[in-house]
Amino acid sequence: MALRNLGRNKTRTGITVFSMAFAGFTMILYMSLVAGFFQTLEDNTIGLDLGEFQMHAKGYRSDPDLYKRIEDPASVIRTASERGFNASARLYGYGLAAFGNSSAGVMLRGVDLENEPKVTRISGSVMEGSWLDRADPKGVVVGKKLARTLGLKPGDELVLVSQASDGSMANDLYKVRGVLKTVGEVVDQAGFLMSDDEFRRLLVVPTGAHEVAMTRRNKDVPLDAATAEASKAFPGLEVRNWKQLQPILARMMDMMGTSVKMVIMIAYSAVGMIILNAMLMNVFERIREFGVMKALGVSPARIFLLITAEALLSAFFASVAAAGLGAPAALHYQRHGLDLEMLTTSMNVSGMALDPTLHFRLTPAALGMPIFFMFALVVVATLYPAMKAAVIRPVEALHHQ
Amino acid sequence: MFLLKIPIRPLFLLISAVALFLAPLSGAASAETPSEKAARILRAVDDMWRGESSRANITMKVETQNYRRSMRMEAWSKGRDFSLVRILFPLKEKGVATLKAGNEVYTYLPQTDRTIRLTSGMMMGSWMGSHFTNDDLVKESRLLEDYEAAITFDGARNGRNETDFSLIPKPTAAVVWGKIEMTVAEGLIPVVETYYDEDMKVSRTMTFKDVRVFGGRRLPALLRMTPADKPGEYTEIFYESLKFGLGLDDSFFSINSLKRESR
Repeated sequence: MALRNLGRNKTRTGITVFSMAFAGFTMILYMSLVAGFFQTLEDNTIGLDLGEFQMHAKGYRSDPDLYKRIEDPASVIRTASERGFNASARLYGYGLAAFGNSSAGVMLRGVDLENEPKVTRISGSVMEGSWLDRADPKGVVVGKKLARTLGLKPGDELVLVSQASDGSMANDLYKVRGVLKTVGEVVDQAGFLMSDDEFRRLLVVPTGAHEVAMTRRNKDVPLDAATAEASKAFPGLEVRNWKQLQPILARMMDMMGTSVKMVIMIAYSAVGMIILNAMLMNVFERIREFGVMKALGVSPARIFLLITAEALLSAFFASVAAAGLGAPAALHYQRHGLDLEMLTTSMNVSGMALDPTLHFRLTPAALGMPIFFMFALVVVATLYPAMKAAVIRPVEALHHQ
Repeated sequence: MFLLKIPIRPLFLLISAVALFLAPLSGAASAETPSEKAARILRAVDDMWRGESSRANITMKVETQNYRRSMRMEAWSKGRDFSLVRILFPLKEKGVATLKAGNEVYTYLPQTDRTIRLTSGMMMGSWMGSHFTNDDLVKESRLLEDYEAAITFDGARNGRNETDFSLIPKPTAAVVWGKIEMTVAEGLIPVVETYYDEDMKVSRTMTFKDVRVFGGRRLPALLRMTPADKPGEYTEIFYESLKFGLGLDDSFFSINSLKRESR
């Protein structure tokens, strides 16, 4: 009967269903976008640059300095491995890179070429050219924006000047082996990566490392538990997980759920008005019809249910339409990405860079939440009209003009 | 890294800076007010940069928590705009030359046979591992233009006449110091300069010692820079020899001359 009723006024039903479907469709896309955005952010931040955990010598993080080193990184890596972590040592320094007439400040990173790929995917995210190779100690890999600033491409030769740990001037010629994709704000803008051997030679740092980055081998171990485990294993070092290293990102991720729900509420409250209005009109137009039904002995509860059923049916059609259109659209952008290059060249969120191409991510929540909220909203918005219809007095209704 | 957070008066200018203070106080009018006297001394200092050229053999000793190094270098200067320093020792850095021409600083690296221009990002970096920054090479010391000078003490002290200046930056001056205090002994021999940061805390101290005669002028041969926040660290510059009035041509301070063998 509800279905038949819906068919009676096609325009009204159409507008209601369409507005619901449109809101649902938009929300599915929006949520997929947000989910994709954060997934990319997390992948980039942790998977390309940070690692899940980082360890430093005490005091290094508050005041980084060439001399504050983890003394025996090899044994740290070994111990970490025994505790279920993949670990890789890194060395950091600062210098000036000059190419042609331009020069720029760079962040030197000495990379443990054997272990780094076990921790991050940075070796695989070379945009042009190729990754570092021990056989080519003078071949370096540079960040994307740095390459743009200096006009570098693979094969170019550049001068690096820095200060070695003995106070002497460190300088040498290097050849660009590769240019990285977007990795993270710092690496993009100033990253100058070389093998750890070459870093040690150039800056006269025979032993130690400034940072050991780690990831869990078993992702089922909770982050906090793993952090505690690592802190216990390395009492002399400062152990931080990525949430502590990037508290803003971590908080944003936590807040994502809440903020998305709020956006849905706001968007849906507008749709809610339309539904409320449509259902109210519906009830008033059909007030005589309900009066007759009442007179024929139909109980108020049944009328209430009838109207609710009509609304829910509309919502069902709307959901099918929203999901039917939204899911493929989201999947399309998940595969191909939404290119925002025309709007911006690159984005970064508190120091973490993102590609201008946004990949959506159709998660169960991204599909389910908008639909769930739509039904919830329809029930709420229909409550008042349905009650009104249910409690109608047949005599008054029949006299109603 | 190892940035000295704050620039200091130019190292290169110091090479001839010492010379300024030699200007005799002759002709000082008896009716001179203290501020006129301060201005006169500072103006004399400023004017003396111009047209002045010098050549020096210098040893630099750097003492830090992490390393100790000793270097020998030769340096030329002309006026405010030009200076050139070439490292003679240690071997690793022999031939490294730094040229200051106007507001630009170039470094020649013999190891790679390249000359690079230092960009703003590098200016606060340590120069040759010392407590001087590259910025110190560029910044001009125009005390009278940038600072409001006042004499805070003028009279006999430590068995000689000494004058204390207090230099407060003018509101429009692009300087980083909150204040500079300076003591000049008779014969225009600088004794000590104390640099205060913007919070009026001592940031570093430069002391002048070992007054010798160079080219007929009396000036301190030993300059020691002590950063206030790093106990035990200092950079010492010692003038082994210093000559004035060489009539150097501007072209001497060109990028091409950076590569030239030391003479």
